[in-house]
Amino acid sequence: MVTPIKALRKNRLKTMLIFISMVVSICAIFLISAIANGVVTMYSTMLKTDGDIIVTQKGISDTFFSDINRSLGLKIEKIENVKKVNTLILGASPVNNLPIVGIYGVSKNRFENYRLIRGKYPDLHEVMVGEKINNILQTPKTVTISKKEFKVSGVYKSDIGFEDGGVVIGLEDASSIFHKSASLFLVTLDDINKQDISAQINALDDGIEAKTTDEFIDNYNQFKIIKISSDVISFLAFLMGILGIVSMMSMVVNDRKVEFGIMRSLGFSSRAIIIKLITETLIVAILAYLCAIALSYLILDAIGHMEKFQGYINGDITPSLAISVFFISIIMATLGSLLPAIWASRVDPMSLILQGGAR
Amino acid sequence: MRLKAEHIEHFYAQEHILHDINLEIESSCITAIVGESGSGKTTLLAILSSLLRASSGSVHYDDISLEAIKNIDEFRKKNIGFVFQFHYLIDYLNIEENITLNALDATKSSALLKALGIEHLASRYSDEVSGGERQRAAIARALINDPTFVFADEPTGNLDTKNAIGVFELFKEFKKTGFVVATHDKKIIDYADTIIEMEDGFVKNIYTQ
Ligand SMILES: Nc1ncnc2c1ncn2[C@@H]1O[C@H](COP(=O)(O)OP(=O)(O)O)[C@@H](O)[C@H]1O
Ligand SMILES: [Mg+2]
Repeated sequence: MVTPIKALRKNRLKTMLIFISMVVSICAIFLISAIANGVVTMYSTMLKTDGDIIVTQKGISDTFFSDINRSLGLKIEKIENVKKVNTLILGASPVNNLPIVGIYGVSKNRFENYRLIRGKYPDLHEVMVGEKINNILQTPKTVTISKKEFKVSGVYKSDIGFEDGGVVIGLEDASSIFHKSASLFLVTLDDINKQDISAQINALDDGIEAKTTDEFIDNYNQFKIIKISSDVISFLAFLMGILGIVSMMSMVVNDRKVEFGIMRSLGFSSRAIIIKLITETLIVAILAYLCAIALSYLILDAIGHMEKFQGYINGDITPSLAISVFFISIIMATLGSLLPAIWASRVDPMSLILQGGAR
Repeated sequence: MRLKAEHIEHFYAQEHILHDINLEIESSCITAIVGESGSGKTTLLAILSSLLRASSGSVHYDDISLEAIKNIDEFRKKNIGFVFQFHYLIDYLNIEENITLNALDATKSSALLKALGIEHLASRYSDEVSGGERQRAAIARALINDPTFVFADEPTGNLDTKNAIGVFELFKEFKKTGFVVATHDKKIIDYADTIIEMEDGFVKNIYTQ
């Protein structure tokens, strides 16, 4: 254990460069995964807390584009076992000087997980703003959405970034802003026989699609796109990390040829030399991991507090993310140092005596 | 143990370097391989010591053919030590750590350091001791596992006369170990039991004194 640390300290500069390149790529993996996860989690929690079944226009890729007839809600409400139907219009629009803000047109108090901290629920031509938006706009009396002015009737707080950074408005107003009757219904049931009720809802109209919220979230295309993009970027960061290690370790091996030649002449096996170099890299990897997790935490915290993101970007390093990135770091270090380690193990001790030595 | 080379031929690319070398070397004595620069001393030493495989011919340690040894690393560790012209001590390890790097029994190092007169340098690093002391440390490293043979290629090539003599005297002290020394340093004649004279890749003469 002492020997590899001494070796790393001796090759301080290159060790440092390997360390930095690992920190950068591990951080990149943490940040992109945490942020992607954050978006998915925020949106799915929003949907999950408010309904067991979600009804949208058939075949849409994004709930923003969904357009259904509000009157269907009444029919759905009549189905046995249905407790309540929340109608929702989801949209995004500039609000005052903010280029884009989530707008939630709701039938009544749909949000179960926000708290009204001031004022009252909005009536016609009124809006209620999330705490974050309220802070950014410095407690506005009125807001302008789509060239129309609305009175601010209250301020609410939500743990979900999209909601805390959003504006809640009555369905009528939302309908005229976004030119649609409704985006989706969130249906709450008395009992859990959800599949059956989905089928009954689907039978009501050809143009709609009812799914359980879980099923919807699992199949939601936008989530898949986010997840795949984040995985691709993570994988690239992983490859960059490996390349960084390979190139630096190759230089390290070249610098230490004499050492490996001597080790071979002393009877160290190739395997022992490979293990030695991988061990050294793993030590750096573990330190880099610890540094990267701390750094990512700080960056995510800073992003979470940045006003211009309105709370929409909001990542969390979950234990499972921390664990999987740990293993990714270990694999990165092992793969990155494997090739240089093999080169090191092939140093021929003959090089020490040829032409007056390997100096 | 007896080291036996038979009909060794060696080529570097097309160049015929060693010609029909036949010799026997006893452990527990000093054998010098002498000759002009370029006569093939180093190449022969490398072949005898398992570092280089001859183009043809055989090398036996008693009855064991080098070619037949499956785990050459283990064989080197237990039976063979090396001393080179340069000390090649690992610079980030102190002398003691260098010596015990692949030791079968690391507790032997202090006695060995004492025998070599460098026990006070155990915790120093190679750049903190003199050239002669470095070469002594390298010899200690070669001797730590009580090898049957220590192969030394120009071990005094980088030392002044006083230190060079010191090295040969040391070889004389470790009677259990066979030293095979390739050198053009004439002083070896006074210490060697057997002298193998090389000339242009041939063994010109072998004599025992
Ligand atoms: N790796 C090599 N490739 C080609 N020729 C070599 C190599 N090593 C040594 N030689 C040649 O082999 C001959 C013997 O070299 P060497 O064994 O080093 O002799 P010595 O140790 O007696 O000086 C020399 O002519 C040298 O140029
Ligand atoms: Mg030579």
